[in-house]
Formats: sequence, C-alpha cells, structure tokens
Amino acid sequence: MIPFIAFSLKRAWQGFWRNSLMSLAATASMVLMLTLLSGVVILYLGLSATLTYVQGEVQVVAYLNDSATSQDVSRLTADLQAMPQVKAVTYVSKDQALKDFQKREPGVATLVESLPDNPLPASFNISLRDPSDYIDVATYLRDQSAVDSVQDIAKTVSQMSSVINVVSTVGVVVLVIVGLTTLFIIVNTIRLAVVARAEEIEIMRLVGASDAFIRWPFVFEGAFVGLLGALITIGLLLLVQAPLASLLSSFFNVLPVQATAMVGQNVALMVLGTGVGIGFVGSYLSVRSYLKR
Amino acid sequence: MSSVPSGPENAPRRPAVARPHPTDPAADGTPIIVLRGVTKTYANGKSALRDVNLSVPEGDFVFLVGPSGAGKSTMIRLLIREELATRGKIILEGHDLARLKRRDVPRMRRRIGIVFQDFKLLPNKSVRDNVAFALEVTGTPRSLIKPAVDRVLRVVGLSGQADQRPSELSGGEQQRTAIARALVHDPNLFIADEPTGNLDPLISWEIIQLLLRINEMGVTVLMATHNAEVVTALRKRVVGLEDGRVVRDETGAAYHRED
Repeated sequence: MIPFIAFSLKRAWQGFWRNSLMSLAATASMVLMLTLLSGVVILYLGLSATLTYVQGEVQVVAYLNDSATSQDVSRLTADLQAMPQVKAVTYVSKDQALKDFQKREPGVATLVESLPDNPLPASFNISLRDPSDYIDVATYLRDQSAVDSVQDIAKTVSQMSSVINVVSTVGVVVLVIVGLTTLFIIVNTIRLAVVARAEEIEIMRLVGASDAFIRWPFVFEGAFVGLLGALITIGLLLLVQAPLASLLSSFFNVLPVQATAMVGQNVALMVLGTGVGIGFVGSYLSVRSYLKR
Repeated sequence: MSSVPSGPENAPRRPAVARPHPTDPAADGTPIIVLRGVTKTYANGKSALRDVNLSVPEGDFVFLVGPSGAGKSTMIRLLIREELATRGKIILEGHDLARLKRRDVPRMRRRIGIVFQDFKLLPNKSVRDNVAFALEVTGTPRSLIKPAVDRVLRVVGLSGQADQRPSELSGGEQQRTAIARALVHDPNLFIADEPTGNLDPLISWEIIQLLLRINEMGVTVLMATHNAEVVTALRKRVVGLEDGRVVRDETGAAYHRED
C-alpha cells in the first residue's frame, strides 16, 4: 500500500509538471470557476442571512395622530392583541418616542429641546408571528381614524426575496456552465497526459502492473490540479477578505458578526471540496474511458 | 556471461536430422503452454490463427517461424492475454486464460517475461530505472528493488552501463536492458518477439546466447523470429506457422523444412 501511494503521488507530481502549460491552464480555469463559485455563494449567503434577519425583525409600525385619545390607544391595543397574527404589541407614547430619539441621536438632542413642542408621533410597534401576515394587520390599522400612517416594510421584504431568487438562479446557471467547462478541461488535460504516457502504460501492462497502478496516478494528477486551484482561490479570497468584509458589513449592516466568520470557513471548505472533487471526477472519467479495453 | 559474441561456428551442434515433436506433452514433462484448437478471427473477418494445437513443456526452447502475417504475433498476444481466442483453449501454467479474471491478468503477466524487436525502453530513464520500473509499477517495496535490479543487470552484463540512458547504448545493449527488465520478476516463461530483428548478425548472436543462458536457468523460452541462420545453427524445436496454421513442429530442426 505504501509503495502504491508513494508511486502514485510521485507520478502524479511528475505528470503535472511534464506538461506544465496544460496543467497550469487547467489550474487557471479551476481558479476562475472556484472564484465565481465563492462569489456567488458569499453573495447568496449574505443576502439570505439578511433576509432571514429582516423577516425575523419585521414589525408593523403604525403612527398615531396627535389627536388620538387614550381610549383610542387602549381600544386599539385590545383589538391588536386579540388578532391571532399578532405576537406582541408595544405602545410608544410621544414622550417615550422623544426619549428614545434623544438616546439614539445624542448629537441632535439639544436641537430637539429648543423646539416649541414634541414633533414625534406616538406609535404602535407590532411584532408578527409570520411576516407574511403583514397585509392583514396593516389593512386593519389603515382603517382606524386614530392611525396616521403605517410604515410599508412589505415592499422591502418582497424586493429582497426576489433579488435573492434572481441571484441564486443566475448563480446556479453560471456555476453549472463554468463547472461543466472546468470538468471538460480536466478530462481533456488528463486525456492528453494519458496519451503522452501511452508508451509507459503499454510497458506497465506488459510487466504486469495492475490497473490501479496505471489509473490512480492520473486521478491524483487531476485531484492535484483541483487542490492547487482551490488553494490559489482561497489565497485570493484571503487577500480580498478585509476589504470585502468591510464592504459586506456596511452593505449588510444588520448581519450578526459571527455569521460572516462562519461564511469564511464554510466557503474555504466548499472551495477545497469542489476543486478536488471536480479534479478527481474529471480525471477518473478520462482515465476510465481510455483504459477500458 | 562473456560479452564476446559467439558466431554460428561455435553454436552448439545438434544432429542435422529433424524429427517430429512428440505430440504427447507428458512425454516431455508438464506443459507450461497448451493451445487446443485455438482460432482467432478479427472483427474484419480475417482469421489470424486457425485451429492451432501446441504444447510446450517446461524448460523447452521453441522457435516460432513463418512469413510475416502468418500469425506469430497474434499467438504471442493471445499468450499474454492481450487478446482472447475466438475459439479453443489456451492454458498457461494450468490456468485457462479465457477464464482468468481481468484483475488476475497482471499477476499472470509477471510470470511471463517479454521482449520485442523495438525494445520498448523509456528514453528518459537510465538502464537501472528502466529495469526498476517493472518492479515499481507492481508495488515492490523500495528496499527489494535495488538488489533485484543489480542481480539481473549482472545476468545480462550491463552492470557497468546502469546509469546510462537508452540513447547512449548500442542496439544490443538496449535489447539486453529490455531482457533484464523482462527477467526482473523471475518469470517462468520468456517470450521474445523478433528480438534480433533490429540488430546486426554479430549482436544478434550475443542476444541469442543470453536467451540460451536464460533457458539453461530453467526458464521456458518461446522466440518468434525470421533469423534463419540462428534457427538452423541451434537445432532447437521449430514450430512453423503459415496462414494461421501450424504447418510443422519439429525438434532439432532448421529454419527451412529439410525434407
């Protein structure tokens, strides 16, 4: 077993450098594919994490008229709490809204104090059991005379999920095309390596080498192209990680920090697995069809 | 062995009268090769071998002669199971080749040493590495390779040229490298397909002497050849093929039929 592995790895290494131009071209296309793959996956993961977060945080915010009475408030609270779609209702009075604002924006707090009266409306913050029930609650609130306006967050949510759908569809199509191209390039590269070694393969057969000794060096060579491509891709990702991370955190600023760390590790593992996998499968297919006789 | 080539004049002398080879294999010991009614027909309808019967006892030295296209190379391809017979049975060391599993073929090949007219050496490897290659690709542990290679290089008289590449060697030395590679697995059967076809007469005798010596070590030798001088001088068993049929099988015979 040890002579077999040592022999196969040595031959794979020699084979890679024997036709270095072909091997490096195959590695380059592998890098291209894996970079695209990680780009699409990072974008997809970022967007869907954001969507999940936003959906979890969906609140219907209804602003009340300044003329709303305390009877209006308690009636609305009772009605809302009676609705099965509603999880929780919080009433924020005008005074509370002002305090919250001053806490959130200390820089302009003094400016607010100079105003003749409180410009902020009172509001209901309503958490929903299921974000898709938004419409029912919003429709009910809009019919109430005490309600001035209802913040329209539904549009944002549906726009985001359609963006994610487009990204994942286009991404999958692009990945399939690039993946098949890369597989094809690997099959051809290894086929050329096999043909270049036809003489050696003939001798190996004559002296009684088993099929494994003939086949696995080429499979390892293909897997090596994938491994090298994956390592280069991970290197590139590490180089762009810092600027990318700051871009992402400003873009998806609601994302919890630990999620991005998870993304980094998972993407690296995925790049490694896909690269080695495609190299392995491509060269296996290539060698198998050649030696089957 | 001495590297001084021997000419036909000092080749072993045998009775000049050829006699038919005994058809009963048991008379000469256990046969290492048995062909029974072997026919090989290719997809294009051409028959390369027709109803061939042959029995080669262990330790025999057999010349396979006949014009080009008579079926000599086909017989060799069948013997090493590069191809399967269309009809008939080929039994090698008691194993029916048609029933040998695909994964058992490599093990069987290691029992056979084979050399060709065109040597089939790897040009970018030294003599030593060419011979070691046969052991490397069959999973021999590294520690066993060097002594085995040194031993066969001594047998063929190439210890001094071990680090040279095939391009730096004469034709005879290249064929001796190929013979060393074929011997390194300690085969029971040695098949040579036109081994002297690319060599001048003097060097050819050197190679024949080496094959005789391998035969003396107890290895059965089957040599396909057009070299009339060598065949006639040695008076060994001669199997003649013509148009895919065995037309003669004589012991102590000449290249051409003498009756």
